[in-house]
Amino acid sequence: MLQPPEVTLTPLLPVLIVLAGALSSTLLGFWVSRRTLTFINLAATLLSAISLGTLWNRGVSSFGGSLQADNAALLLAFVILTGTLMTLLVTLDTAWRARVSFPEFDAMLMYAVTGCLLIAFSGDLIVLLIGLEIMSLSSYVLATLQGSRRAEESGLKYFLLGAAGSAVLIYGIAFVYGATGSLKYAAISEKASVLTPENTGILVGGALLLLCGFAFKVALAPFHQWTPDVYGGAPTSVSLFLSTVVKVAAFAGMLRVFSGALNGAPGWHSVLQVLIAATLIVGNLAALRQMNFKRMLAYSAVAHTGFLAMALLGTPQAGGAALAYYLLVYTLMTAAALAIVAALQRSEEGFSITDMRGLYYRHPAYAVALAVCLASLAGLPPFAGFFGKYLVFQAAFQNGYEWLSVLAALTSVAALVYYLRPAALMFMPDRTPAREYGLGQRAPTTLAVALGVVGVTALGLLPNIWYGWVANPAIWTLLVGR
Amino acid sequence: MTFTDWLPTLMIFLPLLGSLLLLVTPKTFRDEVAGFIAALTIGAGLAIWRGGGSELFRWDWIPPLGITYSVQLGGVSLALALVTAFMSFIAILYAARRIPNPGPMLSLILAMETGLIGIFAAQDLMLFYVFFEDALIPALLMLAIYGKSGRMAALTKFAAYTLFGSLLMLVSIIGVRYIGGSPTFAMTDLKQNLVQGSAQTWLYLGFLAAMAVKLPLWPMHAWLPDFHEQNHDSGIPDVMGTLYKVGGYGLFTFAIPLFPDASLELRPILMGLAAFTALYAAWIAFGQKDWKRLLAYAGLSHMGFVALGVFSLNETAVIGAMYLLAFQNLYTGALFLAVGMLQERIGSLDTRVGGVMTQAGALGGLTMALWFASIAVPGMAGFIGEFSILLGAYQVFPWLAFIAGVTTIAAAAYALTAFQTTFWQARPAGAVRVPDLVHTEWLILTLPLAVAVLFGVYSAPALNLMQPAVRAVLSALGGN
Repeated sequence: MLQPPEVTLTPLLPVLIVLAGALSSTLLGFWVSRRTLTFINLAATLLSAISLGTLWNRGVSSFGGSLQADNAALLLAFVILTGTLMTLLVTLDTAWRARVSFPEFDAMLMYAVTGCLLIAFSGDLIVLLIGLEIMSLSSYVLATLQGSRRAEESGLKYFLLGAAGSAVLIYGIAFVYGATGSLKYAAISEKASVLTPENTGILVGGALLLLCGFAFKVALAPFHQWTPDVYGGAPTSVSLFLSTVVKVAAFAGMLRVFSGALNGAPGWHSVLQVLIAATLIVGNLAALRQMNFKRMLAYSAVAHTGFLAMALLGTPQAGGAALAYYLLVYTLMTAAALAIVAALQRSEEGFSITDMRGLYYRHPAYAVALAVCLASLAGLPPFAGFFGKYLVFQAAFQNGYEWLSVLAALTSVAALVYYLRPAALMFMPDRTPAREYGLGQRAPTTLAVALGVVGVTALGLLPNIWYGWVANPAIWTLLVGR
Repeated sequence: MTFTDWLPTLMIFLPLLGSLLLLVTPKTFRDEVAGFIAALTIGAGLAIWRGGGSELFRWDWIPPLGITYSVQLGGVSLALALVTAFMSFIAILYAARRIPNPGPMLSLILAMETGLIGIFAAQDLMLFYVFFEDALIPALLMLAIYGKSGRMAALTKFAAYTLFGSLLMLVSIIGVRYIGGSPTFAMTDLKQNLVQGSAQTWLYLGFLAAMAVKLPLWPMHAWLPDFHEQNHDSGIPDVMGTLYKVGGYGLFTFAIPLFPDASLELRPILMGLAAFTALYAAWIAFGQKDWKRLLAYAGLSHMGFVALGVFSLNETAVIGAMYLLAFQNLYTGALFLAVGMLQERIGSLDTRVGGVMTQAGALGGLTMALWFASIAVPGMAGFIGEFSILLGAYQVFPWLAFIAGVTTIAAAAYALTAFQTTFWQARPAGAVRVPDLVHTEWLILTLPLAVAVLFGVYSAPALNLMQPAVRAVLSALGGN
């Protein structure tokens, strides 16, 4: 008689609900329309978010700690689900126009989210890797699903570079295992402080390889080259998903590994600060030269990676809180901006920045919403982007990286210029015929945009409604689990 | 919690409320609603003045980050807030008549008023930063919606300069709190946990970067002429732009108390820079052929004076600087509006039109009177400010006071030359007939002038308001 293994399923609940959505999309796709599936997935996402609430403060774990539903995981999962919700709302309107309206699209999307959640819940490097691969493989497919040359090219590029990144990452995991003899975050963190000199070298090597692998996934310069092509070439709703949910998940992984497991390990801090500096400079300056709005947002996503990664240089307490706050704000504002692009673009290439002239007089609500998103992305108060930026500056500054804070401040000037140009153009009077898709303004997309805009405004005026949850330092000292 | 505690908050947010209200107001009542809200804001300010300034009101805004909502309107900040409210009212009065379909403009004026009064009221560094940036957004929108063909470049330049400074200031703000070890960003806490040593100088430089751009101080001034030139002809955005010169105030309220040693250490360099800015701007103004650019450089020259006064850390000079800062808004703002009226009549901003005086005597006369205020003719508010600054600066560095003093002669030269070539000389043959002032235009030019004359002749109320505040700030220097 086969004995089923003893597994506590409670901590798995949010992941399982999302997985159920993915499976139902796979199976039911033969009988019901894609829109129905999207509604099912929306329900699954909401249920999963609710299940996060039931796990709050319970600190449960499964598989002997390999999978842990601690508060850090729940907060990051909440951000992931918020991004998913917005993506699903946008695909309701635009998937048909982007020619990706088939059940497989929804299935892949939900599998990717499952992977993302696994990363946030991971308690050891293997679960992390499994999550990362589920997420990445689904994303490769998502980027390619649209039958166009541009999508195929971007998907292939994404796949090849992503696979190389994964390979480096796995190699790094092997090194870390070699140095510490364990894959569990808690054990690695314990061993990292009491290593023999020979092992330290291996650990440093492993940490750096992991850093490279993650740098591919989150698009830190110089490993960012694929981002503009993939974000620009994929259907806009997919770009939205890739630049928010997938990035949040990759950062959740980095937080677990670097602020958690390898926090005491030497070496990676100094390399990371160089990567961040390069990202800030390259991302911001390259975005300055983009004439296509969607591509510009892709580079801006690269630039934001630099800001987000600054949080990893802070202490886990300050950095974790800053990262969790910034990730939610980043998701809200980027998703809302891309949702507007998805609604108004004539083709999947997005639209040119000059096409935005006079948008305010044609689509006043979308124009104002986009202006709010851009102001928030640029870090202008009273929108939440400002507090996000402030928190990461503070985290880095407090931990002795003053020069990086100053550099980040200086490169933000370039950021303001490229966010400002489209924002100002929108309000300039214009008599030429409209160049955007006139019928794109639909209820679900508007809902997603409203969610983003209300979110960044509310979080900007009263940051405490989200920061109050993430500010507790105790959450972030337990990143490695018990 | 009494009503007087709420007055500053009311004064700050009333215009913003009005700005949002305008979005849902029917077109026919928009002017009246905007004017009423602006008048109400002045009323709130006067009520605070009657009560002798407000107490510090503090509420923990974001407790885990140590950011408080601390506001106080008293002394210098009250004077500046009142002038801001007054000039916003004047701007609304003019915008309602001059601009066709003025809805967005009225909204933006009110939104900006909130930002500006907030800047003056903030007693918490982060709150100050938030208002500092907030005032930027309506200014940018005014330029984007109502600007001229070259506005994109002007807008980018303006924003880039401003953000360059303010982001460095943000890093400094973070540094001031963490290196000093203060529990919050509120000024009361920060003053008790001052940063010591060389870190103070570095942080001061970061702070200075933002203020020098806003002031503006040479060589950070390049955005200013373009900003004014590309804005709407009416001069309304420029009025708000001149109110935007919060740099002098920021240096006075935050930089001196937080970086006393650094202020003393850098005093010679900064005073030199300020004196140079004043003279250099006056010199450039002399060569301008566009009224807006001329006024922009004249404003820059005045701000050089203000900076000289603040940097000198001398009581007389600082009071003079604050006096000039407050009342310069009146006459420079009114001059921008007068230029707008001139443009409306002759269709150009050129300073060499000729003969306007013969047909539009009232416009010419009032413009001249405002120019007298601007070049500090005794009996006008500007004189008291500039004279006190020179008197105080002389006690610190006589030579720099002398260089700055030369500016007053240069000012007379550029002002009178431009005035002469526009309003006197012969009217070119075949030129359009210039109508004189009508309706509210009279009010728009005479009200600011009247206030400038009133406080030029009877300065005691304003001085009494400012003096204790200046003494309190300078006491941080340890009886220097």
